[in-house]
Amino acid sequence: MTKNGYIGFFSHTPIEDIKADNNQVASVLDVSTGEIVFQVLIKSFHFEKALMEQHFNESFLESDKFPRSTFKGRIVNLSMVDFNKNGEYEATVRGDLNIHDVTRNISVTGTVEVVPGGINANAKFNIAPEDYNIKIPSVVRENIAKIIEVTIAIKYTALEKK
Amino acid sequence: MKLWIKIALATVMVFAVVGIGIGIYLFNLEAADLRKAKPDFIISAADLQQAFENNEVSASAKFVNRIIEVSGNIESISIGEENALNLTLQTGSDLSSVICTIPDAASTVNLSTGNPITVRGECSGYLMDVLLNNCVIIK
Repeated sequence: MTKNGYIGFFSHTPIEDIKADNNQVASVLDVSTGEIVFQVLIKSFHFEKALMEQHFNESFLESDKFPRSTFKGRIVNLSMVDFNKNGEYEATVRGDLNIHDVTRNISVTGTVEVVPGGINANAKFNIAPEDYNIKIPSVVRENIAKIIEVTIAIKYTALEKK
Repeated sequence: MKLWIKIALATVMVFAVVGIGIGIYLFNLEAADLRKAKPDFIISAADLQQAFENNEVSASAKFVNRIIEVSGNIESISIGEENALNLTLQTGSDLSSVICTIPDAASTVNLSTGNPITVRGECSGYLMDVLLNNCVIIK
């Protein structure tokens, strides 16, 4: 598991590029079943400009009403990943992504790298804010891409019992 | 041109320039530097975590979006993506702690686990731990 995972997103338009980082992603991967869970606080996304962060929280994601985003899914090609052997494997994860109180079933292909002492998981995929009922006001519509690129980088370490 | 027209025009110009200036300033404003900000709360990591564990709703209402100066011993240090660094502070709980994310890891020399530290940051809320963002090290 990890409590220090990373999810970032990137929006590119001819007018401007907008990037946000969240290094406070909690995630659990069960290597025996392939089940994978992510949880983030919307307020933990950090933007370069304070006004962007404010719009993101107050107008777009309404983080006071919907403070969390979650994903619950499963590695569908678990037989292709050998968690006992170091190496990089391609993994496809399917599950339910909840953002802004809207849940959608998504499928994402990324890599799982088994390294000494842990597992690194990386993926990049696209989501459309519109799919999650996120309304972008017309004033800034041209500044924000219709499709947002999401980057996931997680370093799992085995759950220690204290 | 009459004097009062000149004065009126000049006044309008001044307001327009100031207005545009403020607009540009606000648009480009970067995240606040918390080194200069006054904390809303000064609290130990153990007390902060306890407040959220006891009652997440009331603790969220009290602490979220506020600037918190938190003190505790470093449980772990983890290097994140995009130059960020996560400091986990010990609390009274084995399962839950206070995690402080420092966006600019270059400012974090000479940290080691077990040592006491004071960090100022904005509270994002409670996931499995209390999360503080945009953190700066105070001492």
